[in-house]
Formats: sequence, C-alpha cells, structure tokens
Amino acid sequence: MIWFIAKRLLAAVPTLLAVLTVVFIIVRIVPGDPALVILGDQATAEAAAALRTRLGLDQPMWVQYWNFVSNALTGNFGASLVTGRPILEEVGAVLPHTIDLTLASMVLGVVVGVPVGIWAALHRNRAIDVAARVLSLIGLSFPVFVSGIYLLLLFGLYWRLFPVIGNADLSDPVDRLHKVVLPAVALGLTMAAYITRVTRSAMLHALGEDYIRTARAKGVPWRRVVWVHGLRNASLPVVTVVGLYVGILIGNSVLTEIVFNRPGLGKIIVGALNQRDYAMLQGLMVIYCFLIVVVNLVTDLLYGVMDPRVKQA
Amino acid sequence: MKRRAGLLAAALMAVAPAAMAQQGTLRIGMAAQDMGRLDPHFAVSTIDRVPMPWMFNGLVRFPPGSIDAAAIEPDLAERWETSADGRTWTFHLRRGVRFHGNYGELTADDVVFSLRKAANAQTSAVSADLRAVQTVEAVDPHTVRIVLRENVPNLLGILTNYAGGFIVSRRAVEERGDGFNRAPIGTGPFALDRVTPNQSAEFVANPAYFRGAPQIQRISYRFIPSDASRDLAFQNRELDLNYGRSDQTWVNRVRQQQGVTVDVFEPAELAIINVNITQPPFNDIRVRQALAMAVNRAELVRWRGQNTSREGQSLVPRGYLGFSADNGLLPHDAARARALLAEAGHPNGITVRVVHTQLPEMLAAMQVIQQQMRRAGITLDLQVVEHATFHQQIRQNLSPLVYYAAARFPIADIYLTQFFHSRSIVGTPTAVTNFSHCGMADAEIEAARVATDRAEQLRLWATAQRKLVENVCGIPLIETLLVFARRDNVDYGYELRGSLSLGPQITEASRLR
Repeated sequence: MIWFIAKRLLAAVPTLLAVLTVVFIIVRIVPGDPALVILGDQATAEAAAALRTRLGLDQPMWVQYWNFVSNALTGNFGASLVTGRPILEEVGAVLPHTIDLTLASMVLGVVVGVPVGIWAALHRNRAIDVAARVLSLIGLSFPVFVSGIYLLLLFGLYWRLFPVIGNADLSDPVDRLHKVVLPAVALGLTMAAYITRVTRSAMLHALGEDYIRTARAKGVPWRRVVWVHGLRNASLPVVTVVGLYVGILIGNSVLTEIVFNRPGLGKIIVGALNQRDYAMLQGLMVIYCFLIVVVNLVTDLLYGVMDPRVKQA
Repeated sequence: MKRRAGLLAAALMAVAPAAMAQQGTLRIGMAAQDMGRLDPHFAVSTIDRVPMPWMFNGLVRFPPGSIDAAAIEPDLAERWETSADGRTWTFHLRRGVRFHGNYGELTADDVVFSLRKAANAQTSAVSADLRAVQTVEAVDPHTVRIVLRENVPNLLGILTNYAGGFIVSRRAVEERGDGFNRAPIGTGPFALDRVTPNQSAEFVANPAYFRGAPQIQRISYRFIPSDASRDLAFQNRELDLNYGRSDQTWVNRVRQQQGVTVDVFEPAELAIINVNITQPPFNDIRVRQALAMAVNRAELVRWRGQNTSREGQSLVPRGYLGFSADNGLLPHDAARARALLAEAGHPNGITVRVVHTQLPEMLAAMQVIQQQMRRAGITLDLQVVEHATFHQQIRQNLSPLVYYAAARFPIADIYLTQFFHSRSIVGTPTAVTNFSHCGMADAEIEAARVATDRAEQLRLWATAQRKLVENVCGIPLIETLLVFARRDNVDYGYELRGSLSLGPQITEASRLR
C-alpha cells in the first residue's frame, strides 16, 4: 500500500512540473503589469521600472523560471508581489476555510444525493423518480450566487439564524460550524443534484444485471439485494464522480466565498489574477494541483477497498 | 420532532447574536478582497488608503472631515517658519508624541527618515510628490529643516496626513524591513493589531495618542468584495459603516432604512475623456470639438444621480485650489458636432476603436457616452478588456480616446501635471497619465507651481485650463462623489464633508453611541 502511494505521488511530479510551466507562461502572456498595480496610477514610469527590477521581473524569462522552479521544489514559493506576505502563510491562513467548505459540501452532497438517487432508481418512472429528476435539474441549473443570496435573505436577514459575514474564527469550532452551514448548503445542493443523477443511473444499471436477478432467484431479501449487491456495484461510478467533483468544488467555491464573505483559495486565486500577482498565482496553482493529486489518490485507494479486483490489478 | 427543531433554532439564535454583538468595536465593510500594502508610502488603492490616517500623522493635517487646503493645521509639528526666499522651511515638532508599541518618542530623526523614504522611488510609490524637496535634515531632536529646489508655496499640502506626508517610525522600518508593509508603526489614534488575509484588518485604540485616548476601542475593517453581500451585512447590523455605491438608486434605497445616514463627500472623482491629439483623425481640432459637443453632461448626471454626481466643468475637479470654470468649455450640441465632422471631411461620421475596462461602473458610463456620441455620428467601437490589461494598453497608446476617472490632492497643479504636462506623456520615461500628448500649457503649469503670489498662481492655472480645454486635450464628463452609509450609532466627532483618505477618518473623538 505504501509503495502504491509513493508511486502515485512520484507520478504526480511531472504533472506538477507541467502545471508549473503552463501557469508560469500563461500569467506572463496575459497583458497587465504588477508594478502598476502595486504603485498605483500616479507612479512614474521610472518608479515602475525600478520596482520591476526589485521584484526581479526584468530578468530574462528563463532565469525567472529557474528561480521559481528551484525554489518551489524546496517548498519555497516566495512572497506575494502585492502584499509582500509569504505565499504559504497566506494560503495557510485560508486553507482551513476551503477545506471546511469543501468537506461540508461534499458530505451534504453525498448524504443527500446518494439516498435520493437510490430512491429514485427503486421507483423508476414513478412520481418520486420524476420529482427527484426535476429537483436535481433545478439544483444543477441554479447558480450559487443566486441560491446564496436567497439563503442569506431567508436565514440571515429574515430569520437571523446565520450571519451574513461568514469569516469564521478558526479557533472556535462552534463558530466554524455555524458559518459553514449556509455556504455548504448552497454549494452542496448543486453537488447533491449531480450525485443524485449519477447514483440513479448507476443503480438502474446495476439492478438490471444478471447477478441481481440470480440473487433474487436464490431468495435473497430485496433489501439485501439493493444495499449489498446493487449499491456496492453502483458505488464505483459514484466515487469517481465524487472524487472528480472535489476539484470542481474548490473551483466553484470562488463565487460561494464571495457571496458568503468567506476567505478561501478560490478568492485568493481571483485576487492574484486581477492584480497580476505572478508569484501568488504560481504558488496557488501548485498547491491546488497538489490537492487534486491527493484527492485522486484517495479516490484510487477507495476503489481498491470497494472492488478487490482493482487492488489485484 | 418540532421540539428538536425548536431547540436547534434556539441554539442557532444564541450563537448568532453573540457573533454580532461586539461592543466598542466599529465594524466597517469595504469593497475589496484584501489589503495590499500598509506602508503609507505605498498605500495607493482605496482599501489601503482609508485606514492610513487612523494609524499615521503628518507634520500638518487637514482638519478631520475637510479637504480644504486653506484650513491645513498643525499635526506633529506645532509650528513652522519659512525663510525669506521661501525655500527653507523649519518645523518644530510637538513633544511627547509616542509611536505605537515600544517604538518610543517621535523625534526629528523619524521625520527626516520618513520624508527621505517618501521621496525615494525605491521606497515609495509617491516619490514624485516630493520632487521639489532638496534636503531634509534634523536641526535638533525636535526641529526639522526642509530645503526646496525651488520655492513651492504649496509645500504644506505635500506634508499633510496624505501619501508622502505620513511619518513612520525609523526604528520599525529598519527592524522590520519588508515586513513593515504588514506591521506598520505610526503615531495615530489606532494601531494595527493584525491582518487576516482576505478577511479583515483589526485595529486597536492607541491609549497614548497625543490628542487623547480614542473613545472607540477597536476597528474591524472587513473586506467584502460583493456589493450585495456587504449591503445585506449592513442591513443585518453586522456592519456599522458600509462603503457605498455612487449611484442614486443605491443611495435612495439605503436612505429608506431606519437609523441609517448616507454620507456623500469630497473629493470628487473627475471623469475625463482624454483625446490623443497626435493620432488621426483627432489631430484635427474640428474633430475634437465635435467630440466635445457630442457629450451631454447633464444627461450623465441624470443617469448617475443628482446626489452623488455633478457636471464636470473643467479639466480640474471643482473645489480644487486653482479650479477655473472660465475656460471656454463647449456646450452640448449634437447637430453642430455633425456639422464639424462634415467640415473636417467626415460627412458620414467616424468610427473609433476605444480600449475600455470591464469594471462595471466605468463600462456603464462609457456605454452612455457611446450612445451620446452615436447621436452625433461618432461610433465608438469599444474593445472591452480586463482592468489590468486596460491600464497597460492605454499606456501603450493603443487607444486614441481614454476614459479616465481620478481624484487627486486638491490642488490644480497635481491634476494638471499628471494629466497634461509633457513630462507625463505615456510612453516616455517620466510618464504618468498624460494620454492626450498635450504640452501646450507646460509653461503655465510650471510657473504656477512656484508662484508666490496667490492671485498670479490662480491666473496661471486658469490660463492653463483654458488652453487645454480650448484645444480639447480632454473632455470633462462628470464628477462623482464618495458615498458611505453609516448607522446612527456612529458619531464621527466632526462633520464629514471631505476626506483625502477616501473614507471616514476615525479619530480620538469618534464614538459609538
């Protein structure tokens, strides 16, 4: 198992390097000058040139690339060009918020999506199934900035159960939980809608297989057929989707973070892009990519747990 | 089941008010994602500028709530005198002023260090403001002498609690190096406690403040980029002050809320269309005049709102020292604009490719202007780009017309120098924001800068504005004022008519009722 994990992590190194290179090139191709952002519009061209020199932005591209990669490989991502704060410090400050939101949304998505999907499959083409399909379509069509504002209006302003400003105190678990509820609902319901559809489809496929018919012919109780034989086989595509969706969740969290005033990775990425903060963007992309690699690894490990054939392969 | 739901609701209700009630803390919502640099000589964005006077002082200051250059009063200096030739200024410092934390008493050494730092392009974004300063030296621990390259009658304006005038602790800068950007030390009524990236900056009262301990204990300065969410938080009483939109609909809506006051204040941001007079067809004065006559300023004010905007009347904002409305500004006349275009050889009108930003407020304004121009036969082909790209491309002369809105230090010299002096032409080493490539008023701008006679200075500035307006180097559009919403529990301790930091100053006299 340890060898498998080590192999997978080693295999991720070329991916990370490729991402580093692509990000490095893209952020420099996009027009916009970090010196102007830092110094403001009253600065003279001379002052901007002096700052570019200080930040090393006037060095040849390959020198900048080499500095970045060699530092990144030692875990040194440097400091933000705009705020001057170390990048790892900035990311470390917001990462717990992103993890809170991602985990909470994922749990909500799975807890709601999987049972509803199973239920819909078991009642195929009946009212429950139609309702589940319609609701999941609505869930997928509703952008988070709309559902988020409605949730804030209802639960924040009208019933006053949750605050509008969602920047939780990380040292207070109750505050963290309290402030993650609404954003997790906004983000998690979209995921739930997606998982409902995937689960329903996977379950219908599994229930139509020969081994289900055989199990029923042997007199296995229906409940056991569904939960043991059906769900176990249907869960593989569901786990794949959940694993892939974590990456999407982190991406989608940008709007959620903005609407609910939460700090997070997504918000920093957008800020760094607007401010042409090359150093921050590069560091964030590496961290983001690493998170995706880890999630994919966990997904692969889960396959092995659920399907022994995968482990043997 | 109902009982459980009730208990859950009760528990949530118990948590919510606890999170909201923070007595003694002033909570301010700002439209920004994060702070940039907290070194006052690098604080150039609105989010960074607002808290500067909370933390720092200058040798002199504008009275809180005012941007009237004639009302400048002592701050860290208690008095000053000038030499007969006006080139040497001696400032006598107030005694017993202490820096935040354990950084000791303010001395002349700190002032000398701060002004030299502010004047150095390596350590300041506003070095150009202090280019007239030749030397700064400490005469004794409480006296500072400034020698100027030339007589600059408006020197006090440069030394106010604004941009390069802020005084920092020398020891803190030297000890902290680049870290000073994140942990600045000043002498102001509030000290920075901590910054939580992407969330907030927290400030605590400075009990040793030389004007007396502040009545407000803490300021929580929260970064909330979404207008809708910030408005909801304000409505939900999670904020005491809210950065507002300069938009009549917004002002009307917020004014309807109970216990809320909307403050509209100076400095106004003047929007100008800068016309590159070197690029065809705008090298023909008739085409530029047609452009000027196509603009309907009254309509722009009706669109943006009577409470938050007013017509631009010159190429310097109203209320700035040296503003002159007697400048021959062409009135709106779409028919005459068409005729001028025909005279210039464009009977079917012209089409101009214009680079413009996607920032919603600026884009909406430009779309209104686009419609006005169309009525006069001028088609603006807007190339909408992301904001940082816009700033780069307009500095590369890629747009013959540049919509630019800005507020500056309220003296005509700054605006005229940055936008219309030939030293500031974009694409040159000394470039700032001269997009029009005009330089016909250089002589007047330079002479006014060193004029010792105030009447003569005003005359020179008026002449400069007339030349620039008559040559249609720029077309003034509208002036937009700053807007903040305030709950009635907040008492600034002064009347807010203006603030150069672009937000309310929180002073020792400010309080929460």
